[in-house]
Amino acid sequence: MTGFALWQRQILTIVSLEWKKTLFAKRGLWVYALAFLPALLFGINAIRVQNQRDAQMEIQRAAPNAAAVTAAIQTGMSVDDVTRKLVDDKVPFTKFKRRKKFEFVRYSDGTNTWELMFVEGKLTEKRNRDEARLSDSIRAFAGAFQYFFLRLAVFFGCVGIFMNLFRGEMLDQSLHHYLLAPVKREVLMVGKYLAGLVATIAIFCTSAALQFALMLGAHSSREVNEYLAGEGWAHLVSYLGVTALGCVGYGSIFLAAGIIMKNPLIPATGILFWEGMNWFLPTMLKQLSIIYYLQALCPVVAPLSGDIPEPLKLLATTAAPIAAPIAVMGVFAAAGMVLTFASIYVRKLEINYGAD
Amino acid sequence: MATNEEIVFDNVSRFYGEVLGVNRVNLSIPPGITSLVGPNGSGKTTLMNLMTGLVRATRGSISVRGIRPDESEKLFRILGYCTQFDSFPRGYTGFQFVHASLMLQGWDAKVAEAKAWQAIEKVNLVEPAKRKVAAYSKGMRQRIRLAQAIAHQPQVLILDEPLNGLDPLVRSETIALFREQAERGAHVIVSSHVLHEVDMISDQVILLANGYVVAEGAIRGVREEISDRPHQIVIRCDKPSEMASKIFQFDHVVEARIHPDFQGILVKTTNSSQFHKLLNRLVMEGINIETIAPADDGVNSLYEYLIGDEGAQK
Amino acid sequence: MAVYKRTYTTYAGPLTPPRTRFLVLPRYCYERLFQSRFLTGFLVACFFFPLGCAGYIYLVNNLSVFTSMGVPAPEFLKIDSSFFRFLMNFQGAMAYILTALIGPSLIAPDLANNALPTYFSRPFSRTEYVIGKVSVLFILLSIITWVPGVLLFILQVSQAGGDWLSNNWFILRAVVLGQVAWILLLSLLSVALSAWVKWKVVAGALILGVFGIGAGLAGIINSILRTDYGAMIDLSRIMYTIWSDQLNIETSTGLEPFEAWLSFIAVCVICLLMLERKIRPKEIVR
Ligand SMILES: Nc1ncnc2c1ncn2[C@@H]1O[C@H](COP(=O)(O)OP(=O)(O)OP(=O)(O)O)[C@@H](O)[C@H]1O
Ligand SMILES: [Mg+2]
Repeated sequence: MTGFALWQRQILTIVSLEWKKTLFAKRGLWVYALAFLPALLFGINAIRVQNQRDAQMEIQRAAPNAAAVTAAIQTGMSVDDVTRKLVDDKVPFTKFKRRKKFEFVRYSDGTNTWELMFVEGKLTEKRNRDEARLSDSIRAFAGAFQYFFLRLAVFFGCVGIFMNLFRGEMLDQSLHHYLLAPVKREVLMVGKYLAGLVATIAIFCTSAALQFALMLGAHSSREVNEYLAGEGWAHLVSYLGVTALGCVGYGSIFLAAGIIMKNPLIPATGILFWEGMNWFLPTMLKQLSIIYYLQALCPVVAPLSGDIPEPLKLLATTAAPIAAPIAVMGVFAAAGMVLTFASIYVRKLEINYGAD
Repeated sequence: MATNEEIVFDNVSRFYGEVLGVNRVNLSIPPGITSLVGPNGSGKTTLMNLMTGLVRATRGSISVRGIRPDESEKLFRILGYCTQFDSFPRGYTGFQFVHASLMLQGWDAKVAEAKAWQAIEKVNLVEPAKRKVAAYSKGMRQRIRLAQAIAHQPQVLILDEPLNGLDPLVRSETIALFREQAERGAHVIVSSHVLHEVDMISDQVILLANGYVVAEGAIRGVREEISDRPHQIVIRCDKPSEMASKIFQFDHVVEARIHPDFQGILVKTTNSSQFHKLLNRLVMEGINIETIAPADDGVNSLYEYLIGDEGAQK
Repeated sequence: MAVYKRTYTTYAGPLTPPRTRFLVLPRYCYERLFQSRFLTGFLVACFFFPLGCAGYIYLVNNLSVFTSMGVPAPEFLKIDSSFFRFLMNFQGAMAYILTALIGPSLIAPDLANNALPTYFSRPFSRTEYVIGKVSVLFILLSIITWVPGVLLFILQVSQAGGDWLSNNWFILRAVVLGQVAWILLLSLLSVALSAWVKWKVVAGALILGVFGIGAGLAGIINSILRTDYGAMIDLSRIMYTIWSDQLNIETSTGLEPFEAWLSFIAVCVICLLMLERKIRPKEIVR
């Protein structure tokens, strides 16, 4: 057996040797924690919203006048007026203070949840904090996906898993076993890369799907069915696709970094910074980052996170959206380029344990 | 010049930054058992790593039976290397370890399995092979690595200190294994610190010191060449000319040169132990000797270290 | 049988006093750290900003230039709690970078080389070891955080006089308390994290990651669960809340000062527990 068929078989062997090592390693547990934390949050949220819905039903039964109370509460009223009204109509509420000046009253009138903000004793704002709306959940999902899952969880997961493939085995002093096999170094690299992909995609896509399911779990089946009949499934597929693409892109970068650099922290911080700056880069430079393409593929665009100071928001440049096929090709092209570059180094790779 | 049956080093040097690994090595190694012998840090491992492409030569070129070390796909079909690194991939059993490397040869799982068991049998590890390598004793780890190196019946077998940590019984079994491999016409290259550990089994030895090849050839030749080589000794004494005339009567003294300040003498002798006995007699005869020092201490002590007493007796 | 005369004796010279024995660790650490030119340079650079501030304070208090020209002194040119908060933020960030540079090499190498048994086979306890390692960072960070802060405060008092002092004495408390809390958090955290992993680089990644991922996680907790309590795991926000509260400045970090202090104490306790778990004089065999 020679040439392509041999390579294929060798790659399969490497993948089957490696994927278990990355997926079931005890030292890789933190990757799971990182990946599944959002799912946990969505799960907690689902339970919370269900409870809240039950509480609202209860209020509808116990305080039939509640809706009228909401209409009666006007800005400018004092805390005492409002609470007296609520007490009269048997509407349960919670009251708390923030920083001396502010007071809040939170209650549900059976259909909506309200948060009333009092400044120096006067009602200034009535906020509808209805958490049971699906559209809000979809937006929250988009935000969590883009700002946490892609940029932090997938990113650091790939740092951990892909850098481990070469640099970790160097540190464990076991890389030479691979280098002493009749395998072209390039084939070895591709095999390890694919093994890393199998592991990361398995972890992160499972988590993304679970998050999506739990996010929907908070809502009534009628709403959910409506959403799924519309664009829901397409959203899920895109989210899974973006997750997988993220692994493809970041994976290639960190595999290369693990081969080329002795200290993987330097490239990781550098790239994190670069990707984080992406919003503020001119379009030309934007195209040199992975997150740009991933962002373009996200079905619901989350707004720039609220924590960023206003002046910086103005600096954010919006690039012309790119078509999905181009974005997908972009990520694959980037990954291909990075891997080609890394192959130059992997060919020169020497076993030099302990000297690092 | 490189026949396809030899391992050829052509003016190979390797530096680790400022540190010398090996320097200007020219060798051509025929099939059979070859021992690389030298003290710690003399460059044995470096030479082996160079042959297998784990490190790259700074200068010069290497060919292993006509294959360059960086052609890993071809090279490791015919080469098995048992390194000095005592580390294994995490969580493997002995069998998995051997099997995995055979799978990478591109063989069927069935074929690979059969070959793996064959090799494991050869090193007598059948029973522990199902256990995790991490729980092996040092000798067992050494042997499982040996099994992995010979599993694909390579034409070139490179073994870095393969006898380390083996008990005497296993040691002789292992040596028999080397013989068997050599008789098939394979290259077996073995490294060791101690010459007399390997000289009985070797067809030829290569002596290394400080990164240089200091001697190579059939073991007998090397030995004679070394013991024939005159030792130089500097003696500081009060009557050098008298002493010179006395010692010149002996055959083993090749040369005696009086130091310009007439306070010492440089002697070249082919038999240093006899010469030292002679010195004792001279002292009895009234010559005051201040100091005796070997003039070529480095090289001499190295040979003494390598060859031991056996060399001196012949 | 040979009987040898016992000729060895135990060390009978002077010992370091037990109370200050932990200072041995910083002493040797600094010797090693300052061999790095980059680190020394960075430390020097940390003083540029306080020096600039000193100049600014002097300038603001000697605005006779303006009055002599008949122009009223501009309103924004005054030294108040906001000024000190900016100083604390800036020096706090520097302290963070310095921690990321030094922190990883504190305990991880000792673990990797199995050096703990060597330490504990001497009259040196686990507590002393931890205090020693923490003080390496704590002392260094003090020099660039609250010490210049206090000096600048004194400079301002000397320039502006007793009136300013009686109105703003709380700034001094804020600078000392706020910065000490911050550097205590940094040193404990980095020592604990570097005790938890063997590889220096991973320890470094953890120190960076705890802040980054903490902030990210805080964000999604808030957005998914629609609360403000997510901020309790965002370390930089915790500190910012504490500082602002101490300086009597209104902020909207989503945290009450009380909650921020609670988180702060929780983090410190967790770090101490981590250290208690990991700093053991036993050999770790893989
Ligand atoms: N990775 C490395 N980095 C720097 N120097 C190295 C490295 N590997 C080997 N050397 C140096 O090269 C020289 C030869 O080392 P080598 O490992 O080949 O010795 P050796 O003969 O195998 O010794 P031993 O008998 O102890 O195994 C030594 O001086 C060593 O310090
Ligand atoms: Mg060696």
